[in-house]
Order: sequence, then structure tokens, then C-alpha cells
Amino acid sequence: MTELLLLIGACAALRAAGLAVAGRMGPEHPFIRWASSVAMATLAAFVASALLLPSGALATLPLAARLGGMGAAVAVLFWRGGLLLPVLVGLGVAVLLNL
Amino acid sequence: MSGTGPFARACREALGAPALAMAATFLAFGTATAAAGLPLGWALLAALGVYGMPGQMILLGGGGVAAAVAANARFLPMAVSLSPWLGRGGARWLSLPFIAVTPWAMAMRQLPHTPPAERLRWFLGFGLTSWLVAGLSSLAGFLLAGRLPGPVLAVLLLTNPIYFGLIVADAARVHPARLSVACGLLATPLALVLPASLGLLAAGLVGGSVAFALSARRRD
Repeated sequence: MTELLLLIGACAALRAAGLAVAGRMGPEHPFIRWASSVAMATLAAFVASALLLPSGALATLPLAARLGGMGAAVAVLFWRGGLLLPVLVGLGVAVLLNL
Repeated sequence: MSGTGPFARACREALGAPALAMAATFLAFGTATAAAGLPLGWALLAALGVYGMPGQMILLGGGGVAAAVAANARFLPMAVSLSPWLGRGGARWLSLPFIAVTPWAMAMRQLPHTPPAERLRWFLGFGLTSWLVAGLSSLAGFLLAGRLPGPVLAVLLLTNPIYFGLIVADAARVHPARLSVACGLLATPLALVLPASLGLLAAGLVGGSVAFALSARRRD
């Protein structure tokens, strides 16, 4: 439990540091643009690594199902927009490719 | 507060695809916590207090606090990039517990098109709803532990990368986020070769900084 409380405190400190440092800057400030770029790049790397080399139960889905699901979801996003329908179609395609 | 105010509108927006992705991920986390033999209180405290899945999973797996903090270090750049959109008043500190990938990603899409006076209330509505969904899903996952077949769990765990993949694909339609996405993808091998706790941090820092530098050169 001590470890968990330490982690909660550290995560709150990371969030607080961000809010404190950037509180008086505008969205076009170079530091804000750099941080936004790092955050978006991190998210892109997370998606790629989760799809290409996942761990745990996700790794039991074949690569074709993971990539096929993602590809179908993006195709629906560009075709129809929204987020819910693309997610559902992507999951459906992954299930079909996993059969 | 009216049903069409920014808070209520954000609550409804959070209950679509974001809630689905959030619920699937935290359901799986609740299941994993029960499987590890930890109590329900631990699962709920981790879900609502840490509220950052990579760090939660590393701590659950026995990876230690330092590795878990490193895995959640993205909170810092996310809070920095979010902060200018939440106003300069003290009320923006209310957003602190809700800063996580899902609310951040949606805020980056919505807040630039939201009137300044409504931005903080929008974020609090979206953040609180997502946070409650995470807590309730962890509870459900804990109670369902052992009853979810492996393939169902695997598909649930795919929801999150697909949802974030869509956020990334949508953001990549415009500059300069396109460059950040491209550089983040090119830096992904770093995330695959380094330890899990440091890999994403390194890929994001390298990819994001290179994209920022290239973007700054374009502006000159």
C-alpha cells in the first residue's frame, strides 16, 4: 500500500508541475508547443508499440487481427468521421480476423 | 446548470467512444488486480488515484514505484500542453486529478473551438465523467475476475490502442501534429528496445523534440 500511495503522490506532482509551470503561458508559447509535440509523439509511439509488440492478454490476438482492426477503424474514421462507430467496426474486424 | 451548458455537454461527449475505451481498459485492470490477489480497495485507489494505466500495470506487476512513475511521466507534458486552455484562475487546479490521456486528447480537439469562458467547465465535465467510468469499470472488472474468457479480455484490451490510434490518426490530418505523430512513430523502436517504463518516455521525448525542431525551422 505504501508503494501505491507514493505513486499516487508522484503522479499528482507531475500533473501539478505541468499546471504550475504553464499557468501563465499561451498555447503558442514555444515551451507549450514542445510539450504538446512530446505528448502527441508519446501517444503515437504507445499505439504503435501496443499494436506491434503488445504484452499480456493482448499478445494472444494475432498481429493480423490487431493491425486489421486498427486499419478498419481508421478507414471508417476517414469515411464517416466520429469515434464510436470506428472503434466498434475496428473491434468487429479484429474479432473476425481472430476466428 | 442547464442541460446544454459546457459541463453537461462534456459529460455526454465523454460517454461515447471515450467511455468505451476507458471502460474496457479499466475493466481489464480490475480483473488483473483480483487475479494478483490484491484487495478491491487497492484496485479502486490505484484506478482513481494514479489514473494512468501504464504506471498502474507496472506497480501491479511488481515493477516498483520508480518505474511506474517513469511510465506515467507523460502526465507532465500533457498537463503543460493542457494548462493554457484552462484559464489562469485558481479554479483550474480542480482539473488536476482528471489529467490523463483520454481527457487530454479530447480536450486538445475540443478546447480550441470552445469559448474561453466555457473551457474549464467543459474539461471538468469530461474529466469527472471519464474518472467515474474508470472507477466503476475497475469495480466491475474486479467482480468479474475469472469469468471473462481470454479472447474477450484480449479484444477488450485492443479497444484502448484502437481508440488512441483514431485520436492520433485524426490529429495527424493537420500540421504540426502530423509531424509529431510521424516522428513518434519513427521513434517507436526506442520504446520496443528499452525497458517498458522508460521506452515510451524516450520515444516521446526524442520524437516530439525532433518534430518540434523541424516545425520551428519551417516557421522561420
